[in-house]
Amino acid sequence: MVHTLNKQDLNNHAQENLKPKKFIVWLFMVSSMIMFGGWTSYYIVFSASKGKGHGLVLPDLFIYSTAVLLVSSLCLFLASRALKAGNTGAQRGLLWATLVLGILFGYLQVSAWSTLVATGAFFSNNNAAISMIYVVSGFHLLHIFAGVCFLLNAIVGTYLNISSERRKFRMEVAAIFWHFIDILWIYLYVFLLLNS
Amino acid sequence: MSTISLHDTHNHDSHDDHGHHKETFLTKYIFSQDHKMIAKQFLITGIIMAVIAMCLSILFRLQLAWPDKSFPILETFLGKWAEGGRIKPDFYLALVTIHGTIMVFFVLTAGLSGTFSNLLIPLQLGARDMASPFLNMLSYWFFFSACVIMMSSFFIQTGPASAGWTVYPPLSALPTAISGSGLGMTLWLISMVLFVASSLMGGINYVTTVLNMRTKGMDLWKMPLTIWAFFLTAILGILSFPVLVAGVVLLIFDRSFGTSFYLSDIVMGTQVLPNEGGSPILWQHLFWFLGHPEVYIVIMPALGISSEIISINSRKPIFGYHAMIYSLIGITTLSFIVWGHHMFVTGMNPLLGGVFMITTLIIAVPSAVKTFNYLATLWRGNIKFTPAMLFAIGLVSFFISGGLTGIFLGNAALDINLHDTYFVVAHFHLVMGSAAIFGMLAGVYHWYPRMFGRMMNNKLGYLHFWLTFIAAYLVFFPLHFLGLDGVPRRYYAFTEFEFMQKWLTVNVFVTWAAIIGALAQVAFLWNFFYSIFKGKRAPQNPWGANTLEWTAPVEHLHGNWPGEIPTVYRWPYDYSKPGAEEDFIPQTVPFSQTMSSNMPHDFEGNAESERIQRAWEEQEEAAAAKTKLD
Repeated sequence: MVHTLNKQDLNNHAQENLKPKKFIVWLFMVSSMIMFGGWTSYYIVFSASKGKGHGLVLPDLFIYSTAVLLVSSLCLFLASRALKAGNTGAQRGLLWATLVLGILFGYLQVSAWSTLVATGAFFSNNNAAISMIYVVSGFHLLHIFAGVCFLLNAIVGTYLNISSERRKFRMEVAAIFWHFIDILWIYLYVFLLLNS
Repeated sequence: MSTISLHDTHNHDSHDDHGHHKETFLTKYIFSQDHKMIAKQFLITGIIMAVIAMCLSILFRLQLAWPDKSFPILETFLGKWAEGGRIKPDFYLALVTIHGTIMVFFVLTAGLSGTFSNLLIPLQLGARDMASPFLNMLSYWFFFSACVIMMSSFFIQTGPASAGWTVYPPLSALPTAISGSGLGMTLWLISMVLFVASSLMGGINYVTTVLNMRTKGMDLWKMPLTIWAFFLTAILGILSFPVLVAGVVLLIFDRSFGTSFYLSDIVMGTQVLPNEGGSPILWQHLFWFLGHPEVYIVIMPALGISSEIISINSRKPIFGYHAMIYSLIGITTLSFIVWGHHMFVTGMNPLLGGVFMITTLIIAVPSAVKTFNYLATLWRGNIKFTPAMLFAIGLVSFFISGGLTGIFLGNAALDINLHDTYFVVAHFHLVMGSAAIFGMLAGVYHWYPRMFGRMMNNKLGYLHFWLTFIAAYLVFFPLHFLGLDGVPRRYYAFTEFEFMQKWLTVNVFVTWAAIIGALAQVAFLWNFFYSIFKGKRAPQNPWGANTLEWTAPVEHLHGNWPGEIPTVYRWPYDYSKPGAEEDFIPQTVPFSQTMSSNMPHDFEGNAESERIQRAWEEQEEAAAAKTKLD
């Protein structure tokens, strides 16, 4: 008796494979969190042993960018709801809104850096705690860039003629990742506020 | 299930036509997404890197044995790094640095996990491929790029990184400190970032596949110990490698962007550097938070591989299957809270040192559990001394003799004496170097038929084993005594220090042993590459093993099994089960086909199965009684 894998089987196989792929995103988030954990623990040990933190009043722009990021997460949440309700138009619009807010966030972060530079808190600094502000916000911005790519992937998915599972998958991956970088930024911001 | 086609090439073709585009040379051998091909890519790249690292070690062993002698041939090959046929001090440091880096990361992490996790996770779990074959391919190519960049540092004017494989700042952070801290160090850091990215992609894929893609019936407690080891290794990697990236990123900023994360109060010549406020100790914390789990990333796959091989070739169930798993979990957990034992001499608070000492010594418990379980598995086994089995037993030997000195070094009070001496070198070369290499070689000999469809030559395997085993002990055992005498590691010329001169003769002996050990590898390399093309064709299940990979056709196909994926009914260690017809029962054989050998605990409390078994036994007894009466 010989079995052959026909197209049907392989398609089923591909669909079953979506769940593991989502799991990959979760594991990536774990390792990413640990990387930031490495930096914040550097910061804690550094400031404990030197008796100083960054000692700055963080620029207000960080507050605005945080708000923008929160609103973007809200938009994305509503986009997921729209997808569940089957309203592709609303989903698409909300995804675009999330994307624009994400890019705005990036702009605000860069402006915040220039404010820091203007006040003399340079990246290359004899206070490693100040350099660390740039490191964590900079690497967070790299994650935002990756998140924007995921969002674009989901947006393109709404235009393409692909199966609803795949569309949902793209949406879910973007949502998991975007909410993660949102929470990650809040963690970093609060951390920097508390350990000045 | 038992009728899976072995010879039906038509079936193979139709599978490919349906599922995939026509394979070209490029998609089959270069940018392959098939886990078996990627495993082979990792293995062969790993072997090439291992040979390079071994040659580097022979070079610095020459320097250690004959510091005053000139070897004109070295100048021919190394040019100004060996002017007058003598290796320069700077280059000597580069040699030990790159030897360590290649062996720890490129051979024993990527070469070992990359090969066997890729090969065995889908095959032993009954999956068609990894969760993300694309990410898997990317993982190999990141690894390959990392290798190329690391090796490229031998072709630049200032030479490769030379701050030791742990690249402690400030030596590594100041490009002008030694010649190796220039461009060579930058290349080292870039290479490591790519390497970590590769490891993470691999590790995430392994964990995802193990958790999500097991075949029907393969619950976690029916997985072979190899898979448990790869799974926990991958978890270790995911949790520790990102910290290395965090540390490396800060080091890159210190080197190239003028930050002071690790730098403070430095005077170069007559010039006072502006950097202030950083702390080089923080690098050590970040590095060893990865670095210690890293040594378990190196040894655990080797332990998993030898568990499997020892059980198969003793024709006995592994002793203490659950204990083996719990000890692996114990090692995994403990490995995160012991990194401070590398830093006892950094001025650490003695109380903290005490804490790290206790956690370190506790690791001896799960390690000992594993060792005793290996010995108990061998005990009164029907041992088949295949080359793979010899290497697995060799691993146990090195794990014991190297592990014992770990107990010395884990003690803060003793470590203050032994730190950075040859005692440490001897310890880790036995317990993680030789043991892990032997595990890897055992795996290569054992799964070679699965990878290449051919057998390796046994006689060459025995020659390779005995020469390597003896040479490894002759190389590393004497180093303990140098260390006890206080000889520091990484010193360039033993002639420069009076108290070290008496060890020169020992160094000559060790170097000769190393050369013999290196030559022995020729037997392996010949055997490996020759057998790919000319080896004896492998039978379906050459070792009489139970695990799923031996049910897949010898001829590789993308998707692993031509038909349905086999279902699993039992654990993988039913060897020499009393009452069974053969001395092994593959995992795919249901209990209903082995009524005469079933044990009460096989049914895990399933009342219906127990009832059927009881009924069958009563029937058998009645039949037996009847024949007796007749």
